[in-house]
Amino acid sequence: MRIEIDRRPIWLIIILRSFRPIFFLTIGLIFFYLINLPTPDGLTIQGQRAIALFTVCLILWVTGMLPLAITSLLAIVTVPLLGILDKKETYALFGNEAVFFILGAFILSGAVMHSGLSGRIALAIMNRFGGTPKGLLASIFLLASALSFFMSEHAVAAMLFPIVLDIAKGLNLRPGRSNYAKSLFLALAWGCIIGGVATFLGGARVPLAVGMLKEATGITIDFLEYTVIVFPTVVMLLVIGYLGLTRFFPPDIEDMHLAKTVFERKMKEMGKIGYLEYAVGAVMAATILFWLFFGRSLGIANIAIVSVVGLFILKLVRWKDIEEYVNWGIILMYGGAITLGAAMEKSGAAAWMANAAIGNGISSPLVVIAIFSLLTILLTEGMSNAAVIAILLPVGIGMASRFNMEPRLITYAIAVPAGLAFCFPMSTPANAIAVSSGYITTKDMAKAGIVMMILAWLVFNLTARFYWPIIGIRL
Amino acid sequence: MKQTKTYLHNPGYLKIDLMLKGIRVDKEVLKKANMDKCRNLFDVACGIDVILPHNTWVTVPYIEDFTKDSPYELMERDGRFFITHGDESVQVSVVPTPEFYTLKTTTGIQLSRIGLVHGGYVAITPATQCDFFNKAIECRYCAGNLDIYSNKGRVYSVEDVLETVEAAYKEGKAEIVYISIGFSDTPDGGIEFLKPYIQAIKKHFNTLVAVEALPPKENRWVDETYAVGADSVLYNLEIFNPKLFDEICPGRATLIGRERYLDALRYATTIFPNGTVASHLIVGLEPIESTMSGIDYFTNIGVVPILPIYRPSLGAKLSQYKMPATKDIAPLYGHLYRAVTANKINTTWVRDISIVTTPLEGRFFVGDEARMKTWMQNFYKSRLGLKAAWSLATLRRKLKVKVGESSAHRDK
Repeated sequence: MRIEIDRRPIWLIIILRSFRPIFFLTIGLIFFYLINLPTPDGLTIQGQRAIALFTVCLILWVTGMLPLAITSLLAIVTVPLLGILDKKETYALFGNEAVFFILGAFILSGAVMHSGLSGRIALAIMNRFGGTPKGLLASIFLLASALSFFMSEHAVAAMLFPIVLDIAKGLNLRPGRSNYAKSLFLALAWGCIIGGVATFLGGARVPLAVGMLKEATGITIDFLEYTVIVFPTVVMLLVIGYLGLTRFFPPDIEDMHLAKTVFERKMKEMGKIGYLEYAVGAVMAATILFWLFFGRSLGIANIAIVSVVGLFILKLVRWKDIEEYVNWGIILMYGGAITLGAAMEKSGAAAWMANAAIGNGISSPLVVIAIFSLLTILLTEGMSNAAVIAILLPVGIGMASRFNMEPRLITYAIAVPAGLAFCFPMSTPANAIAVSSGYITTKDMAKAGIVMMILAWLVFNLTARFYWPIIGIRL
Repeated sequence: MKQTKTYLHNPGYLKIDLMLKGIRVDKEVLKKANMDKCRNLFDVACGIDVILPHNTWVTVPYIEDFTKDSPYELMERDGRFFITHGDESVQVSVVPTPEFYTLKTTTGIQLSRIGLVHGGYVAITPATQCDFFNKAIECRYCAGNLDIYSNKGRVYSVEDVLETVEAAYKEGKAEIVYISIGFSDTPDGGIEFLKPYIQAIKKHFNTLVAVEALPPKENRWVDETYAVGADSVLYNLEIFNPKLFDEICPGRATLIGRERYLDALRYATTIFPNGTVASHLIVGLEPIESTMSGIDYFTNIGVVPILPIYRPSLGAKLSQYKMPATKDIAPLYGHLYRAVTANKINTTWVRDISIVTTPLEGRFFVGDEARMKTWMQNFYKSRLGLKAAWSLATLRRKLKVKVGESSAHRDK
């Protein structure tokens, strides 16, 4: 244990330490004030209380003064206490399909990683296509992206990181200096980020948004439908991303035989493919097929949980093996966000806020999409993507009803950009993992990331403007 | 205060004079003062605890031979006690020998061997040993009552110490625990040894703890001392004059060094609250001017000088040393009071010590009533004040101490 004595004057320490109690006291006063304001015209008393609670949660989510999951739990218990929704209805919202889908996805992803299958696929692909500097860069970028179609992007980043780190060391690249090393780690991060928005599986935020939409409006989005709508954005971003990586950081290395040595050594260590990998791979493949073709009829959460049960029946995984992959904090957070979103919608607070915020100033749904996607992509650089969704989606859904827009559009406009955090290590774990290597600095990441963020926003809006109508989506 | 030929009506002077000359006490008076048990107690350095006017505590020798010549006598009239000097007298209170001295711990150790009450303090010495004696570099004034030879070098368990503190508090004999260690040849100055005792006392009692240790080799141990629960710390330099320090305290000089004492004290004042870092300067073992320089130096860096008077102990190498006279050393205490006041050092914490004159008692030598300071000290002695002091000290520690992983742990 290391002991340090704060030698600053005691009055200064007290002032600094008082920040937290003062902060929470202020939050309490704000809440009390909002609750006791005269109820505005067009808003119900439940709506007013929902807005007060939403404001408190928004501040807590943005500032991070409480863990996201704890803020969500606070939201869950406060909704019935304030009489916004009754107890039974509130706690039933926590049993949302999205929450169980996320749980199932965590376990499936954990099983794949634990079996070693994902690592083997990664090594095989890099070994096959990594003969040249650009080939290796492209294979890391595309591999990270493709794996994030099926697994949590955070898990993919964590899984590929040691391999990329070994490659950088094997090639004797200089930390903080080598352009090629910077591009390799950025390829890992960007690949995960871009791939992570392609399907429901890349992160828990899309299921969260879909869950909130369903609770608020009864409308659902299925796995295939989402992927079809988002895929062109993903493809274009992959192309732009690759070009960006090679332009920002032109390769400063030619000889790749040392990387080959790394791959061969690692593959040798893994030995031959075993029963466990085959079996887990088969369960995962079957699960994805069911999601794609029977997602709507069977329910994606049901499919996920049945697959999980299958893994255990076949003894392919033990509980203690996958426990570390299940992020219970995220699950609690999502349950709370869905509950709060539903409370906002059902009490009429979301529609009232949208009306009050935008008024009659906006006439086009495209402008609404542009504004919400811009707000989302900016906010997600500084805060948790799930929190961004929890904050913006209830208002967005309210806005959609005011403009007579399809609520699914606003869900896309928030759920997709929420995953596109390219600029800073704190924006998303994939970026943090890349910077933790020491081969790329925050400054390098921010420089390239800002350009990528602007391009991503443009690409998303261009897709909405030109591609969505082609597949029959009315704006 | 009344001007007379004796010191009877100035508690400051009287305290010093009594400490130097002792007092004569008749056996019957001792019995009435409930002090007669004292002689039968093993290891109790007997003195009679008297409360002089203005709540001034003093431990007065009465057993030693030199006390037979003392001009002072303790008298009892109608259940009230007086100290007389010739025709004059002053009323005092006599503090009876604590009842807990006669009790034993569950392991059979007499509590008086573990803890002794001095004024408002219960002084605990968990290990009755001092390695200076092992190396024949003990302080020349020390009689070796902390010798490690024979069966004296015993280490009492945490439970034994807790039982002693509990007994003292139950009897209402103490407000503050004073825990000390002799010389220990470890880089931490003995704090690692004292740590479990301090932590246990803090865990079981809402009390302030003063720690007397040695200056550790590194300042991080001073941090540790505060962090584990010490509310006050003493690194006793004893002699300020560098040459005399080397001569009289060869162990301290060679194994620790005067500069380390001063550096550790200076650093401790940045860690502990104002008025809680103290150091002894023994009066009578060095010239008065040298002690005054020490007072000035210490008060300038925020350390409270505590001035015990040298009284030769049988068996000590300086046993033949001449005791100082009250009139010669009295100016020191006035100087102490002025220096402490000028440097704005809090005098609230060093209080009610019966074996030394406290800085606030120095007011008796300069004729300052120091009403505010006295009021504050009295407040902190009240039940409410004790609770407030403990609460403030606990809050301060909570705010100041940060506990993190050690660098070795982080490297893993």
